[in-house]
Amino acid sequence: MRRLLAILASVITIGVGLVTIYDLTVGTGELAAALLRLVVATLALMIVAGVINLLIVHIGRMRYLKRGWVYSLVLLVSAFATVGFWLAGQSEMNDLLLNSVQVPVESALAGLLFFALVYGAYRLLHRRFTWTGLLFIIILLVMLVGALPLEQFGLARQVREWLLSVPVSAGARGILFGIALATIVTGVRVLIGQDRSYRE
Amino acid sequence: MPGDAGILTISILVVTLVVSLLATAVARLRRQSIVLRHHPAYAAMPLRVSEALEADRTVHFSFGSLIPAGTTTPLMVASAEAFTLLATRAAVGAKTPLLTMSEVSALPLAYDVLRRAYRLRGRADQFRNDAVQWYPDGPRSLAFAAALTAAMSDEKVSANIFMGSFGPELALMMDAAQRRGQSAIAASDQLEGQAVAYAMSDEVLIGEEMFAGGAYLGGSAAQVGAVVALDMLRVLLIAGILLLVFDRVTGGLYLSALLRGGG
Repeated sequence: MRRLLAILASVITIGVGLVTIYDLTVGTGELAAALLRLVVATLALMIVAGVINLLIVHIGRMRYLKRGWVYSLVLLVSAFATVGFWLAGQSEMNDLLLNSVQVPVESALAGLLFFALVYGAYRLLHRRFTWTGLLFIIILLVMLVGALPLEQFGLARQVREWLLSVPVSAGARGILFGIALATIVTGVRVLIGQDRSYRE
Repeated sequence: MPGDAGILTISILVVTLVVSLLATAVARLRRQSIVLRHHPAYAAMPLRVSEALEADRTVHFSFGSLIPAGTTTPLMVASAEAFTLLATRAAVGAKTPLLTMSEVSALPLAYDVLRRAYRLRGRADQFRNDAVQWYPDGPRSLAFAAALTAAMSDEKVSANIFMGSFGPELALMMDAAQRRGQSAIAASDQLEGQAVAYAMSDEVLIGEEMFAGGAYLGGSAAQVGAVVALDMLRVLLIAGILLLVFDRVTGGLYLSALLRGGG
């Protein structure tokens, strides 16, 4: 039975993939758009699975009084309160909570990001000294100094602009080229049935 | 009739198809003679899983904000393949691996990854539903990062493998892992996340290397064939770029003239 389902999954995956490619390249694109809309609708329904997952994880944590169960309690109370306010027609309370709790907390975390990044750069050099690591730190410093709005750092600003427009741009394109190539190879592997992520 | 973009797409797909089939056939026939170059990140991953098993601690995998629909789908397939192979190793232990993501649509695939790992080990009854955890991302994925740093502590994680889509918020997770003495290997399809991963990860994994997990951790002929195909296509791409550079340097005297049908 499992083998039959695996074959069925392969047939559906390969079939839908080929039809979509054909319609996008040779056809009108309407069938492909319809299939993609179906995917989007299916994925939207996954929010129900997400809510169930949240309940399973956090109720389980509270039930066995696992580490961090208080946070789970806060999360569940917040989730139910949000739904409750919405059901009671008090959506402005949700907006208030979002603007006065969620946004400031996330902004504070964004501020912490800078320190985490600088510490990461320090750790890179501290952990293993390599020439590429040193180059990384020097360029990081040039970029930071070049970003300062001071006239004394005009040269650093010029170096920064050159770095961004030439080596950084080239490196970024190289990485993106690599990812694009690998994406196409993986897609073709799925189409010819060499990938087994959807079957045993 | 397909337009220019259609013809180009079909050409790329046909070339990729031919190269993939060829590479897989070669890999099947001469599997022993194909030796993948040493990759520190993929060499370290099974070791980290083994260390976690010995210490009776959890291995944490994360997809980040990968979506199984759109341009990130193939990366999700590749990450899921690597996670399945690693989770299968970890499934013999008492602690279930933890798999997290910030995209709710990735939940079914994530459950499948861990369920399959346990089924392959013949321990399907040991799988825990709460081993897969979804945390909504919010603006800039910072809520996801905050939730994950807490989960990494609460679940007594020993090793973290972040392979998916992460932005600069990855720094918070990597920092949390380092402060708690947890190992962390990270790679992202976003350039900002990739930069953070390069600076803070124990071992570096860049760009298309993320797609080679199956070949390094599994090693079947089809998986190795995909890596060989990728290498062949990379050579073709480099040759194409060099040709275009040559054409530009020579002012289009040869290549452009040839394509136009001139002498």
